Amino acid sequence: MASKVLFINGLEPGSRQIMAIVMAMVLSAFITNKTLADTDNAVLKTNEKNRWFGWWQDDSPLLATVADPFIDMRTGPGRGYPIFYVAERGETVELIKQRTTWVKVRNHKGKEGWVHVDQMARTLGADGSQLAFKQYDRENFSNREWEGGILLGDFGGSDAITAYGSYHMTRNLSLEASLSETFGEFSNSTAATLTVVHQPFPNWRYSPFFSLGGGKRKTDPHSSIVATEDRSDNTLEVGAGVRVYLFRHFLLRVQYKRHTVLTNRDDDEEIDEWTIGFSTFF
Amino acid sequence: MDNRLQYFFLNQPNLKKGCLKKLATSLMAVAMALGISPTLADASEANDAEASNSSVQVIQPELDRREIKPVKIDHENFEVGAYYGIISIEDFDSSELIGIRAAYHISEDFFFEVTASDGAKGDLTSFEQLSGGSPLFTDEDREYSYYNLSIGWNIFPGEVFILDKYAFNSAFYIIAGAGSTEFVGDSWFTFSFGAGYRLLLTDWLAWHIDVRDHIFDRDSFGVEETTNNIEFHTGITFFF
Repeated sequence: MASKVLFINGLEPGSRQIMAIVMAMVLSAFITNKTLADTDNAVLKTNEKNRWFGWWQDDSPLLATVADPFIDMRTGPGRGYPIFYVAERGETVELIKQRTTWVKVRNHKGKEGWVHVDQMARTLGADGSQLAFKQYDRENFSNREWEGGILLGDFGGSDAITAYGSYHMTRNLSLEASLSETFGEFSNSTAATLTVVHQPFPNWRYSPFFSLGGGKRKTDPHSSIVATEDRSDNTLEVGAGVRVYLFRHFLLRVQYKRHTVLTNRDDDEEIDEWTIGFSTFF
Repeated sequence: MDNRLQYFFLNQPNLKKGCLKKLATSLMAVAMALGISPTLADASEANDAEASNSSVQVIQPELDRREIKPVKIDHENFEVGAYYGIISIEDFDSSELIGIRAAYHISEDFFFEVTASDGAKGDLTSFEQLSGGSPLFTDEDREYSYYNLSIGWNIFPGEVFILDKYAFNSAFYIIAGAGSTEFVGDSWFTFSFGAGYRLLLTDWLAWHIDVRDHIFDRDSFGVEETTNNIEFHTGITFFF
């Protein structure tokens, strides 16, 4: 700032003015720098670094300052990979990417390694607050928005495989779309359904649910069976089941459904389906 | 804020206090424009607040609840790619195949995987070859395609070393799943299991070598029989 005052006093128009401003900027930065160094505060150092990066790069890198005594940098994103570097308190690292529960970081010497999010969560960001990383736990399970998974089971004596995705409109209510294929002794079928699912106790680890829905089922008799045609029917279904939170964003799902196939014959077909599978949620 | 800033301006005799405050504020604005620490700016604001507190404000305002937002970091948990390999179709000789693979890594240990393959084609059965009669199946019926939904477990993660200079992360995984196989005119419920090796050439590029057994019951010869269709393939995937 002092420098700025000095230059302004003896100004000449044009390039010297610009130069003066630039120099003032640099010098004022330097003054602040010294002040920062005096305070010996790790957080401020982050900002110092952040500023210089911010000047020359469009995307300023995500920086974190180690606040714990140290963080372990491993050679790979897994608990078994060797620790090859220990970043100490006050050291600033740049965050590069995250894979599952591991964050890839780069230190000022350009060393790159993987740090567990639990350790990263105790580092400080540019504003001096602890960094928050997306971690999945029971609470996220109760408040999940999206869910998807695969289910295997028995559909009235046939093998069945189902893939589904659902969107949770509220904590209790979700809309689910599923595609399934069944493999029977005489025929196979594919079905697409849309279901409304209600879970009365979203906070429970073993969370029961009830479902009501409908869809379309295409039945395809085996090629060895003569004189039958493919047919397509509307279906209605009612079901119940339970989701079990396992770990992270992984859950087990067991369900029963009773399908009513609205055939164009005299009687509708009623089929019981039992399935079990794994899902993930976001 | 006993720093040089204050030192400079406090020693100016002709500056009044209000003027000083204004100047400090404008300097802060300059500092912020330069990208200098928001923390420092905060500190000055706090100082200002303190100054005004002493004169007017007695009660501290309630603090807003801080909203915690996760860091905007690039998550790379998805993996997509393609593979090429050979499948031995029971009773129908072997055939080349191509496929696509997508995976989602839930943790460092587990992942979901979807594979789909097309392009394999069964040859004549040994009976058809020896009898010399007309073929039992049309060419179209011999086309073999499948999809699989699986869960994999990185059971032996590791690191491999090549020469003096290179080290690559790797994982040996076992995988099991279910899906559908379309062959000889019908779709068959298929269990599959196998093992594979993933070598990460970079953080985002992986090379896979896989062996899978596709098991399904088939009654195309009139009696139901369980068939094992063993596939070997290799491929490349990208993490994103």
